Amino acid sequence: MSSTEGLISHLPNDIGGKDADAINMEEHSMLPWEKRCHALLDVLATHQIVNTEEKRRGVENLGSEIIGNLTYYERWIVSAVNIMLEKRILTPDQIAYKTKEIADRKKNMCSLLTTLPFVD
Amino acid sequence: MNVEGLGVDLAKSSSPAFLVNDLVKIKNKTPVGHYRTPFYVRGKTGRIERILDEFINPEEEAYGKNVGSKVRLYRVSFAQQELWPEYHSASLDQLQIEISEHWLEPA
Amino acid sequence: MTVPDHHDHDHAHPGVTKDEEPYGYYATLELAVRELLIEAGLITTDEHRRQIEILDSRSPVLGAKVVARAWTDPEFKKRLLADGSAACEELGITMYDGAHLIVHENTDQVHNMVVCTLCSCYPRPVLGLPPDWYKNKQYRARAVKEPRAVLKEFGTTIPDEVSIHVHDSNANMRYLILPLRPAGTEHLTEEELAGLVTRDAMIGVTVVKSSLVQTNRGQA
Repeated sequence: MSSTEGLISHLPNDIGGKDADAINMEEHSMLPWEKRCHALLDVLATHQIVNTEEKRRGVENLGSEIIGNLTYYERWIVSAVNIMLEKRILTPDQIAYKTKEIADRKKNMCSLLTTLPFVD
Repeated sequence: MNVEGLGVDLAKSSSPAFLVNDLVKIKNKTPVGHYRTPFYVRGKTGRIERILDEFINPEEEAYGKNVGSKVRLYRVSFAQQELWPEYHSASLDQLQIEISEHWLEPA
Repeated sequence: MTVPDHHDHDHAHPGVTKDEEPYGYYATLELAVRELLIEAGLITTDEHRRQIEILDSRSPVLGAKVVARAWTDPEFKKRLLADGSAACEELGITMYDGAHLIVHENTDQVHNMVVCTLCSCYPRPVLGLPPDWYKNKQYRARAVKEPRAVLKEFGTTIPDEVSIHVHDSNANMRYLILPLRPAGTEHLTEEELAGLVTRDAMIGVTVVKSSLVQTNRGQA
């Protein structure tokens, strides 16, 4: 048996029974964008644009390195984007231009806010 | 035939291949791609605890199949010693998990 | 003196608020996707807003209400164990999207606990969103293999003569644990009983205590 076979046949999230450390009880409140992300994925699932199983598969397909370095909702949004690119619902350039547009919008809002006088 | 379970509508769905209390073995197959049958139950023997509805096969649903033929889902119960060799031999602890029909064979 | 309308962030920029500087890579990606899909007519702003409201409306308070009703109404409890979703709908809890809820009852012989080893499947319509520990590796890996050791970490000791049933929520069902009603609560109202029921008891990692002084792990 090839030593790398397990990487292919055994999904990275299939961890039931593996050794692991003590439970970390710390809880973090959901960031606003995380809630928006969760709500978005729910809406996508309702419309079957990205169903729940596709989203899960998309997270698994990210591979161990990305999975290990991204937080829970970061994995969700990247998975959803990949699935929609795969299904040709979005294109890479649409993402590129829209994210730039948003970044520019944020920059303009910031500079506007800093130049305005304080208003009670 | 005595069938127990939640939401089983025999008039619409195909008959379950397994009945409550049947001894079943989880197949040892290794597909490529998405699955929901974890490695820790593969090749293990348990009992049908409950017959559930039919659902789209998640392995196919993950690749875009939203409608179409469905597979029967069951709840299977395992003695913990069956799953983990180091589990206390006198324990009656169990593990229960949902397994699709295409992952089951008679034990 | 007029206030420039640049202060009004609601129009044209759904979801962007100035309290989130810096707006990170992933937050931007989420907004980009959402705006593109809205522009394409595939989803609407209203749907997204409505879903946020739904998420906000859910918390363990709902599950606690179900538990307290089951403790005080034996016929309801029978219906709950037979069909969890239908029984919850009776109490006005919308299950959404045909969610299938199975309720497991803790007894003097059996203690139940729930895990999703593969991801984080959770009975969201009755408990809201899962805690971080439920989604993380340590719980998911160990709860199936060494439930008693895991329970001890939550401060819960189950006697040897009580069996533990671990439920791996790996497919289409969602699970709610009906905890044992603690002794000494016979005089409490249904509302007071609900106030004793914690999220962790409905996941099955703790038990319900008769006193209101409980270990608080930042629960909603």
